[in-house]
Amino acid sequence: MAYEEPITDYDEIVENCTCAFCGCNCDDLTYLIKDGHVVGVRHACRLGASKVMEDMDQRLLVPMIRNEEGDLVETDWDTALDKAAELIAGSVRPVFYGWSETSVETMKHGIRLGELVGAVLDNQATICHGPSLQAVQNAGYPVNTLGEVKNRADMIVYSGNNAMNSHPRHLGRYSAFPRGYFRKRGRFDKTIVTMDPRYTDTAKMSDIWVGFEQNGDYEFYNAMRAVLRGKKLKKDVISGIPKEDIEDLVEAMKTTQYGSLFFGLGLTHTLSKQRNIDIAINLIQDLNKFTKWNLVPMRGHFNVNGFNIFMAFEMGFPYGVDFSRGYPRYMNGETNTIDLLTREEPDVFMVIAADPGAHFPGGANRHLANIPVIQIDIHWGPSTEIADIVLPGSFIGVEAAGTSYRMDGVPIYMKKAIDKPETCRDDEWIVRELHERVQKIKGSQIASK
Amino acid sequence: MTYIEKPPVPNVVKYDEPMATKRNKLEVMLNTGSDIYQGACKKRGSTLKDEYRHASGTAYMDPRDMARLGVKNWDTALVKTDWGEVVVFTAHSRDAPHEGQIFICKGPWANVIVSPETYCCCDPTYKGVEATIEKTDKEPLLMADLMAEVYMKYDKDAEKSTNRLTEKKINVGITKPEE
Repeated sequence: MAYEEPITDYDEIVENCTCAFCGCNCDDLTYLIKDGHVVGVRHACRLGASKVMEDMDQRLLVPMIRNEEGDLVETDWDTALDKAAELIAGSVRPVFYGWSETSVETMKHGIRLGELVGAVLDNQATICHGPSLQAVQNAGYPVNTLGEVKNRADMIVYSGNNAMNSHPRHLGRYSAFPRGYFRKRGRFDKTIVTMDPRYTDTAKMSDIWVGFEQNGDYEFYNAMRAVLRGKKLKKDVISGIPKEDIEDLVEAMKTTQYGSLFFGLGLTHTLSKQRNIDIAINLIQDLNKFTKWNLVPMRGHFNVNGFNIFMAFEMGFPYGVDFSRGYPRYMNGETNTIDLLTREEPDVFMVIAADPGAHFPGGANRHLANIPVIQIDIHWGPSTEIADIVLPGSFIGVEAAGTSYRMDGVPIYMKKAIDKPETCRDDEWIVRELHERVQKIKGSQIASK
Repeated sequence: MTYIEKPPVPNVVKYDEPMATKRNKLEVMLNTGSDIYQGACKKRGSTLKDEYRHASGTAYMDPRDMARLGVKNWDTALVKTDWGEVVVFTAHSRDAPHEGQIFICKGPWANVIVSPETYCCCDPTYKGVEATIEKTDKEPLLMADLMAEVYMKYDKDAEKSTNRLTEKKINVGITKPEE
């Protein structure tokens, strides 16, 4: 990358802002502000900086509704909200999907709206770490905080995850490089292991790369558990890894002082899905007979964990909560967005702070073309192409304050740095307003009966 | 803007007699996932632009596979799976060697061809999908055109046959439905 001159042309500095990109929620960012826009970000990674210094070309600024010709036309807030409330109130099986890039305060209103109309509330965990949450219910959750990893861990394992690309500051701020209280020399005191079929950027900078074969994770972890329990491996090569290497790796993991395993979508998206995580958690539990080990899922969006924690606290289930019977219900493979969409069940779909156009498989997205889609977002993205009503929200952590949960479950208050564009509204305000309008429609329906 | 500028990809290595094993079509395993360039482009909100098409609509391949198929960097290829087909760019993978595997960053292009099967576990199968790749002359579509062509939400007159998603019904619990 070419050398770039440091930014000196700014009016104001706002310190200790929280990054609104990934589950690391780095809370040491400094924004450089000029004319009410963020012109520079210090300490952020490439991804965080690109998100905070957004592309204003594609910013959604006014509410829009599709007309008969299929074009999005500008409208005022009242019309757009009334139309959206009408669709939600009149639907039989609404799905409210998203919530991961907004604050816990917004979710509070979302739950009230969901309960009122009997919707399915789901978040991005359903397509990323959903299997991890199921595995946590199956096998337990030996979690630690990222501060412990920094101060104590001397062996860090990244499994099915490319932190250098998806959580760029994770290694620099929490795991591999920082000098911790008990790890005074930083990177020299820590062993980094990457287990991934691809020779990723994380694998390139780690000490040990275990390149097991695609879909071979379940067998590989089981082999490690067998070795850990003192069994002899009968095959010479397991999932593409020679058995001597597995024995050496297990020995290294056993003799470490404090280990931490971070796993990503490489484990949850392959064929064994939640069973991969089950076995990874069991491996950690087995390792705890010898030394101290913990694990943390590498969550993607900054508040994806927040929705799961909030939902589990309020309703008892982490995601995919169905209110259609009047009480919360949760059934994997039944009340999850992808399954509902492939079965063509929903009749209204509300997307808030998410992008199904960019993340859902085509087979699931196909149903979105047949039903009304309401979008609450800040950018014109793939989902806007299939949305019927667009409500421009605001950017949590930059234009609006709110609470979010880091990947290890630590809540962080994200402060506001600049004012939002005049025509935009807070996500919290939009959802509350929708709730009030839906309540009015529902109330008049009951009165007329 | 340096935040989305990609490092130049290394040129395809010529192997001894690549023509000896030249194929028109390769059977590969498709993986999807995120990549820092695609992430920066997406999170910045530059999805309508050409840079997103290059960041996300690119199949990263092993150089040996590229030699076999006879494609160079930024040539175009057609990737087909049981669930659909899409035209993408090809480029030398920075994680090579991984013969027999292609990597497409998550995004609208990869979504057309990944499997929505969740096996009752809420999570579609984004990784390890069987696919074929062949050289083509068509250009990958920009995001808005791709969404319009694939899902045809507001295109009432369009013929059903232009839909790139195959008409395959998803059978939850059955990997390969009977032919």
